[in-house]
Amino acid sequence: MTQGLSTVRRSIFPREGDTWETIAARELTGQDTTAAVGQLQSWNLHVFMRRSPPEGSPRHGNPILPSDVIFLEPPQAS
Amino acid sequence: MYDLIIRNGRIVDGSGLPAYNADVAVTDGRIARIGRVEGEARRVIDAAGRVVTPGFIDPHTHFDAQLLWDGYAKPALSHGVTTIVPGNCSLSLAPLKAKHRMKLVGMFNQIEEMPYKAFEDGVEWNWETFEEYVARIGKDLAINVAPLVGHSLLRLWVMEEASMQRTATDEEIGAMQDLLRRCLDAGAVGLSTSFVDMDETLQPVPSRYADTRELDALSATLADYGRVLQIVPEFYDPDLTIARIDQLAELSLKHGIPTTFSPLFVNGDNAAGVERVMARVDEQFARGARVWPQVQTRPIDISFSFAVPSLLFIRFPSWYRVMRFGTHDDIVAAFRDPEQRKALVAEAASLSPLWPRLVLRQVGSEANQSLVGKTLAQIAELRQTTPIDAMIDISLEEDLDAHFLAADMGHNDDARVSALLRHPRVHIGASDGGAHILSFSTYGDTGFLFSHFVRDLGAIGLEAAVKKITSDTASIWGIPERGLLQKGYVADIAIFDPETIDRGAEYYVQDVPGDGSRYVRDSIGVDTVIVGGEVAWTAGDGYLPAHRGAILPGATVGASA
Repeated sequence: MTQGLSTVRRSIFPREGDTWETIAARELTGQDTTAAVGQLQSWNLHVFMRRSPPEGSPRHGNPILPSDVIFLEPPQAS
Repeated sequence: MYDLIIRNGRIVDGSGLPAYNADVAVTDGRIARIGRVEGEARRVIDAAGRVVTPGFIDPHTHFDAQLLWDGYAKPALSHGVTTIVPGNCSLSLAPLKAKHRMKLVGMFNQIEEMPYKAFEDGVEWNWETFEEYVARIGKDLAINVAPLVGHSLLRLWVMEEASMQRTATDEEIGAMQDLLRRCLDAGAVGLSTSFVDMDETLQPVPSRYADTRELDALSATLADYGRVLQIVPEFYDPDLTIARIDQLAELSLKHGIPTTFSPLFVNGDNAAGVERVMARVDEQFARGARVWPQVQTRPIDISFSFAVPSLLFIRFPSWYRVMRFGTHDDIVAAFRDPEQRKALVAEAASLSPLWPRLVLRQVGSEANQSLVGKTLAQIAELRQTTPIDAMIDISLEEDLDAHFLAADMGHNDDARVSALLRHPRVHIGASDGGAHILSFSTYGDTGFLFSHFVRDLGAIGLEAAVKKITSDTASIWGIPERGLLQKGYVADIAIFDPETIDRGAEYYVQDVPGDGSRYVRDSIGVDTVIVGGEVAWTAGDGYLPAHRGAILPGATVGASA
């Protein structure tokens, strides 16, 4: 955490070519990949619920955009 | 001999300091003297009983297209606004290659609800570079323009179709930096980007395919000029907004640039989230970052007819599909077909509290004039039907030219909005002037600030309110020699009656190229608006021949770093 800042919900920006699976493998280590992907998707409905890129797009099937915020944990309890 | 003397006014100079009585003299477009002014002038304005302030600066507009046919940005100027910032949300009209024109028109239509026909009939496409665009609009400006460069436009120019498919290579990022430099040299005030907007095919706009490397590189270029980065965050979600605040703060600290995000709305149901957002803003300012949230003064009102797509229906896929992609006849057919109508009514039922309180605001036929001003609940009772069916029936009777108002849809909690507007780290803006012209009027937010929050609620003082929309804005955006009434500053001035200033009632007017219409509001209580020392509008004479509007901060001779 950067000095002087309170703790907020942990997030990352995707790397080139990232998918749910690559983020899960990198950021949620030690977990079953399928379960980790499911968690990531549930924490990131703003991405998961997005319409997939159309057929023919190099990104077809992957809704994650390079500029997205991807949360690595659920919302903090208020 | 002065060019202009404003006598007997009460000076609110934009600094936030208490008002005082004085005259203001203007020569060669600049303020020559403030105090007791002896001597004569070519024009004298008696401002007794009025306040004299710097012209207002509106930092979030989409007047990009309108400026091609209207150098006054009507009716913004009549409300006292003397400087506008177009090009927000990753969209500007330049730099733009000829082959991408229709793509951009599609994005403007989808995101800002600018009609295609306005572009077809109102725009002579005779520019490609930012410099050419600025030269084009700069010939006939009555209002000052501080234009942002749209990030999506930079990507489209450099990467073409790939701008909507992938991240940029190092070479492409370098080319975007070069292009941004050319725009800044031509007078751009900064760069805008968006993390939420969709294009006309409902795919993300090009700026959303940029990774952190790209935004970092473009911010480095902004740093060379000390210019601003504006973003549209995922404003509907506090956690996402906070993540964007942190992203902006890192860019601000690393590159020493000001950043701003818009919009930020507050309602009863998101108040706790907005508190967290503002706490994060405070923390980042405490670290030395500049991340200015923009907050609008007006509540969210949405007007609509079924003749054009409306934002109100974006949450109802069946309605939005037929409104967005269907023709007039398709919409009429859908409303007339019993099965389709049944499905539409069922889908709309999920928002059942909304429909009864919609107000019928305008119809063409004599037969329905008596219903204007009534809610759909009242009309439904008269007609022995449901509010949704009443809305559909009247729309059919009016050949879809029936206008409804959904008032107070949000951002209407006076106490919470007041607290935000007073906040020292909140930047008043986000009017969206020139956009959404078929959904609501984006003019008169400054009048509403003074009438509602200063005069009626006493939530903020007159001097503080003026400072918020003049010198604060000029400082945040790096607009030199404006925003204050001070000797030597450019004479952008508003004169108004603090007891009566307000926004007028919203009405629908046909004044858009291509026989288009829009919702507007006239100003109330504003007497005179002066741009660059020249009277550009008065309550008595309306818009006057005036051409002192400037591109701000203006062309440079290279980076100032």
